[in-house]
Amino acid sequence: MKTIPDPEVFRLVIPSQTRYLNLVTGLAKRASMVAGMDDSTAAKVSIAVDEAVTNVIMHAYGGETDHIVDIELRFMPLALEIHICHTGQSIRADQIILPDPGEYVKHPRKGGLGLLLMSRFMDEVHFLEGKERNECCMIKRVGT
Amino acid sequence: MVDLSIQIRDENGVAVVQPEGFINAHTVRQFESALENLVAAGKFTILLDCQRLSYISSAGLGAIMGLIETVRENGGDILLCSLQQNVFAIFDTLGFTQLYRVFASEVEARQALAGKTE
Repeated sequence: MKTIPDPEVFRLVIPSQTRYLNLVTGLAKRASMVAGMDDSTAAKVSIAVDEAVTNVIMHAYGGETDHIVDIELRFMPLALEIHICHTGQSIRADQIILPDPGEYVKHPRKGGLGLLLMSRFMDEVHFLEGKERNECCMIKRVGT
Repeated sequence: MVDLSIQIRDENGVAVVQPEGFINAHTVRQFESALENLVAAGKFTILLDCQRLSYISSAGLGAIMGLIETVRENGGDILLCSLQQNVFAIFDTLGFTQLYRVFASEVEARQALAGKTE
């Protein structure tokens, strides 16, 4: 008899190309619903994943299209964990400056909103730096 | 289905832009170009009818942010209408509903614009 991994894990590996974003966000939305989230919450998770994968493609890999983005969805008992792994430039926690939405309204400018959306739509966002690869880990708890 | 298609029409001097699909890093250049072309043509009052917009990421928001000052300096504005729930959530979460006028329908938006010009 085959054993089911604990937690149950789903992996998707894509080239570092933005044309696959819609594929990834569609999967993230469906996975959120399988995890027990409602449609509205699932849509927010999918947006957060779009932002995180876009950051990897555009910033970690500098727009280079011949790399790999490894997306792992872990179905925890009360949460969905999303791990987005890459071998590009890492982002350190001390480099993250979330824009103040109030300041944005007063002084509109282009860019810088992706991380804010990720932090608002997910319960936890972590950036982990490894020896061989780096990771963005996002967690959304069911029912929040 | 294409990722993004954009219909544009003129309604009494208001450029009504109807994106269909999704706006993210993959499609944003197409969206940005459409808006830039309107501004270059002197169309400074732009109504974004989002009825068929599935979602918009920060890349799309940036495209709108990049033009808001220009259109307002020229006496125009960018208005939004018919936002789906998840698209509204994105704008609202970031406080953009304070920055842009948002209407339930295109008719309401055009009525508000007509009232402004009367």
